[in-house]
Amino acid sequence: MTSSDIRPGPEAGPGRHIPTADDYARMETDDRFIELRRRYRSFAFPMTVAFLAWYLLYVLMSAYARDFMDTKVVGNLNVAFFFGILQFVSTFLIAYLYSRYANRRLDPLADELNRDLGGRQ
Amino acid sequence: MNGTVTVLAASADTRRGLTIGLFAVFIAITLYITFWASRHNKTAADYYAAGRSFSGFQNGLAISGDYMSAASFLGIAGLIALYGYDGFLYSIGFLVAWLVALLLVAELLRNAGRYTMGDVLAFRMRQRPVRTAAGVSTIAVSIFYLIAQMVGAGALVALLLGIRTGETFLGMNVTTAKNVTIVIVGALMILYVTVGGMRGTTWVQIVKAGLLMSGAILMTLFVMAKFNFNPSSLLGAAAEQSGKGDAFLNPGLRYGAGDWKTKVDLISLGLALVLGTAGLPHILIRFYTVPTARDARRSVNWAIGIIGGFYLLTLALGFGAAALVGTNAIRTANPGGNTAAPQLAEELGGGPGTTGGAIFLAFIASVAFATILAVVAGLTLASSSSAAHDIYANAIRSGDVGEKDEVRVARIAALVIGAVSIVLSIFAQNLNVAFLVALAFAVAASANLPAILYSLFWRRFNTRGAVWAIYGGLATAVILVIFSPVVSGKPTAMISDKDFAWFPLENPGIISIPAGFFFGWLGTVLSRERDDVKYNELEVRSLTGAGAH
Repeated sequence: MTSSDIRPGPEAGPGRHIPTADDYARMETDDRFIELRRRYRSFAFPMTVAFLAWYLLYVLMSAYARDFMDTKVVGNLNVAFFFGILQFVSTFLIAYLYSRYANRRLDPLADELNRDLGGRQ
Repeated sequence: MNGTVTVLAASADTRRGLTIGLFAVFIAITLYITFWASRHNKTAADYYAAGRSFSGFQNGLAISGDYMSAASFLGIAGLIALYGYDGFLYSIGFLVAWLVALLLVAELLRNAGRYTMGDVLAFRMRQRPVRTAAGVSTIAVSIFYLIAQMVGAGALVALLLGIRTGETFLGMNVTTAKNVTIVIVGALMILYVTVGGMRGTTWVQIVKAGLLMSGAILMTLFVMAKFNFNPSSLLGAAAEQSGKGDAFLNPGLRYGAGDWKTKVDLISLGLALVLGTAGLPHILIRFYTVPTARDARRSVNWAIGIIGGFYLLTLALGFGAAALVGTNAIRTANPGGNTAAPQLAEELGGGPGTTGGAIFLAFIASVAFATILAVVAGLTLASSSSAAHDIYANAIRSGDVGEKDEVRVARIAALVIGAVSIVLSIFAQNLNVAFLVALAFAVAASANLPAILYSLFWRRFNTRGAVWAIYGGLATAVILVIFSPVVSGKPTAMISDKDFAWFPLENPGIISIPAGFFFGWLGTVLSRERDDVKYNELEVRSLTGAGAH
């Protein structure tokens, strides 16, 4: 490749077919693609709403529910401390759940469609 | 004040020698890596994206190295040491933010783009206006962040070497020492980026992430051992030594109770932290260094694990510093608390004046220095890549430019941006560092994130929408900050003798983030442009990887 294209287009490579606009348009209405998009969005969108709401609850309670947050649970550890630690736990958990979901429900279908379009693998 | 500052100046000559020796070792290793990396850089994809050859784990480490700035290592540990619980709020926002990147941005961006954030924003738009807007916003965010890091570096190195006002070191007074530090940091980052490109910069970040994690783990083990690995006794001792008692463990010391403004400010900050990360250009371009979207996902997972683990460690460091060094001793050494971690290291090594204390302090000081270098290199790379790829190659030359020419311009841009930041940082030394970082996050969340999300998920989104989202979000955030109490009207403000602060909050996020989304929507519906063919391509490509670079 000697010149940079105006719009980022696929780089040519050995054994790779570059999908055309028609290929993309056909895939856009393919039932398998519609299913892939549904699977992705039905996990990612509600989960985003959920963790943002959970995080905002934490921030709002830090600002407006300080008496409750100050309640001691064990020794010197209070509700605020455990609530904060739970934000870490939920972040790790959601990352794990999404990866497991993607490995099982998204990647195999995405690979199949990618092969159909002549891409990598 | 002198009594406690000598904590850092004790056995000054030994410690300075050790610290400078360790700095030198780190610089030598990273320069070797940089020159080694440069021999593997042949194409534009090598320079911008390290040939997309890193593994998910390597990139996860590099992302952590890029993200955990001195602000998080020294800053958060210091905030916890001074304000107790409220410092913890920062780390939670900085961590949860990664879920936005994981679920909505990383994989789709990896498949759709090539070298820069602008690639995705301009995918289905008219190139010139959108590329220009993406370049302006990338450079603005990166420069705010860059100046914050470099000003911090100057202050920090002077402090870590224990050079006090009225004292000289190698014939330099404090001001000269700070300026010399800024110039050295600037020269090194220019060298890493222009010579090593993305490959060299990535390795510097990997080495730094390893060093930072080792240092933090080591210190945490020392701290926890002193409290029989019982978090409750650590917190109890911290609360006692802080002089604040139980209030130290509750929310509200920094974001004070009573006044409605501080509470709304807390929410505004929380929003900017959680939504800013996925709009930081120097983080986004890291996703291009791996071969597939799946590796991009793995990188984020590793980054979440490493960064989350690190923030849990800063909890032990911050409360440990409060318990063992004492909040007052920390505040006297540095009012912002930035020396809490180094002071804790000295205490853990055996206390001021001991060889163990000097060695541990020198080690942690050089880790902090490595941290700054890796972050500024990442920022210089992101802004110079965007200047060359978005503004020069695509907006000015309409894509009619050779690969060699483009990389040459990227190197020149890195040199110019680096030089400009050195000069700005020297003149901006009185700026509040936290203010610059907050501004960078607010602009990233208000200008970049709305444009990225609309680009990826909204078919109707178009050129006017993208341009309005970026400039609208950028302008709202910057204007609100200029008229906020951070800039004027308070004794702690930048311009304390004038008052033009009509905006009551320190962080603009709660207004400017919705504004960015609103302008993006408004611009889109006011324009009739719509490109279904390109949106089909973007959507299929981002989800399946077909046709991805």
